[in-house]
Amino acid sequence: MKRPAIRWILYGLPVPVLVLSLLVGPSDVMSPGQAVLWMARRLAGFSGQADAKEALVSAILWNVRLPRVLLTFLVGGALAASGNSIQALFRNPLVCPYLLGLSSGGAFGAALALTTSWIPLQPSAFLFGLLAVTSSYLLARVRGRIATVSLILSGVIVSGIFTSLLTILQFLTDPFKLQTIVHWTMGNLHNATWEKVRSAAPLILASTACLFLMRWRMNVLALGDEEMRAVGLNPEREKLLLILPATLAASASVAVAGVIGLAGLMVPHMVRMMIGPDNTHTLPACFAFGGSFLLLVDNLSRTTASFELPVGVFTTLAGGPFFIFLLKRAGIGWET
Amino acid sequence: MGNMNDALRVERLSFRYGKRLVLDDIHLVMREGTFTVLLGKNGSGKSTLLRVMAGLAQCGSGKIELLGKDLRSLSASSRARILGFLPQQHRPVFPFSVEDVVLTGRACHVTLIPGKKDREKAFEAMDRVGIMHLAGRSFTELSGGEQQMVMIARVLAQEPRIILLDEPTAHLDFVNQARLLDLIRELVDSGLTVAAVLHDPNLAFLYGDEFVFLKNGRLQSVSSSQKPWDGSLLNAVYDMDVHTVPYGKRALVIPGGDKKSVDHS
Repeated sequence: MKRPAIRWILYGLPVPVLVLSLLVGPSDVMSPGQAVLWMARRLAGFSGQADAKEALVSAILWNVRLPRVLLTFLVGGALAASGNSIQALFRNPLVCPYLLGLSSGGAFGAALALTTSWIPLQPSAFLFGLLAVTSSYLLARVRGRIATVSLILSGVIVSGIFTSLLTILQFLTDPFKLQTIVHWTMGNLHNATWEKVRSAAPLILASTACLFLMRWRMNVLALGDEEMRAVGLNPEREKLLLILPATLAASASVAVAGVIGLAGLMVPHMVRMMIGPDNTHTLPACFAFGGSFLLLVDNLSRTTASFELPVGVFTTLAGGPFFIFLLKRAGIGWET
Repeated sequence: MGNMNDALRVERLSFRYGKRLVLDDIHLVMREGTFTVLLGKNGSGKSTLLRVMAGLAQCGSGKIELLGKDLRSLSASSRARILGFLPQQHRPVFPFSVEDVVLTGRACHVTLIPGKKDREKAFEAMDRVGIMHLAGRSFTELSGGEQQMVMIARVLAQEPRIILLDEPTAHLDFVNQARLLDLIRELVDSGLTVAAVLHDPNLAFLYGDEFVFLKNGRLQSVSSSQKPWDGSLLNAVYDMDVHTVPYGKRALVIPGGDKKSVDHS
């Protein structure tokens, strides 16, 4: 298939996937047919008196499934778009949004909130994620310039520090809270609420919009700092303009959904293997495909077992084989 | 104030890396429509001089003028509209298409996303360099010679009046070196001002108009009419005996003072 065709399929994918995801769930009260009927009525503007059964269907769809589906899509899209930008920025296909300490900072923030209950969980995870990335960034800054290698190194160090702090908390806290912390770090989409959607959506949408505006600049940045200066752009400023929204989008996701591994690393690769490396196309495609991918994975984790496995485990188990298939078939394109 | 025809003027320029003086009181004028070649041993300061002139390294003291304008007073993007620079190494990790690589040269003319005009300029540049057939190929799959041509096209897409090239013939074979220098000659004859660091004095003397010799951060500028290949200048620059053979109006350069090196079969 030609690349433009695949591109449009990727852009359109969220629509059927979002609808399909609303039909999937463990409830025996409601069949997919009832869900379709409910959606059709809603869309037609029907607001008549509902019987008890219908009220239940409405409650499940409106209060349970819809927020979860929306949140999952936003989180998947944000992680993938953020991963795409971070990989372009570092000119390195092996990095992900968690590289600069975002996940360990976020996990520490969440654990701190869970153990001490001084601060609410989501803001704490969000702020400590940001704090970790900011420290990595400032540590790497020498005389106004940011070298890629020092940024990666300081990211590793900051991650290490927050992981150690997290370990101290886990060591000191009681077993019950420890279990909650461990579950949080595995990624949790099952307790999605409208409140979470409302708190995460504006940040995620605004920062992915910023990344969308920067999509061609990523191509320029991908060639190298010196090459970028030569064509009249300041790489330090451009890097900041990418790190900032990429971090905001990813920390907003971590704050509401915990640490979902591999989505930010793998999805950009999959997209590049399908439509090529031009960031002007991969960035919107990453958002659309990342959201759809996480939704499909989440649907699997909701339906295959009688209990829900953490979605982070499933992203790896379901995405891994697909990733390997693409890798073997298409070749990754940088065999050097 | 410089002459109207001066594309680039360097006055009393000095530059240090830490405490080491890399460029020492440099004076240099490049007239419009000339090809200047920078020659000297490794570590003599050629690349540093080029980077300082391109505005990529802060100049320590002294003054640089581009088309009569002080380099320090120009914003990065207005500088890039006058002057294009080709760094030594370029290895993008992602397999971008040649067209996308060339298009990045338009960055100083583009607000956020390149438009139709920018794509046209990119294609014009590819056409001029003779790489239209490569447009859809991925950059990382190309040979060293082809990659260098792509990067030259990228500089041309930028539409600068002055182009500085840092070792453009490095990693190129015999044929591609000649093709590249023929292209540079064509560009210069059409009015562009070009300066390049070259390692091979033979290529330099075949193609260049002006020659700049650097040794220990000090500079000596000689034009082709002054026949830099005559006399002991090359011996001093390279710290080596150099034998020259007349070739048309110019000369070929052979390392080694006597002809000992060809008699050993």
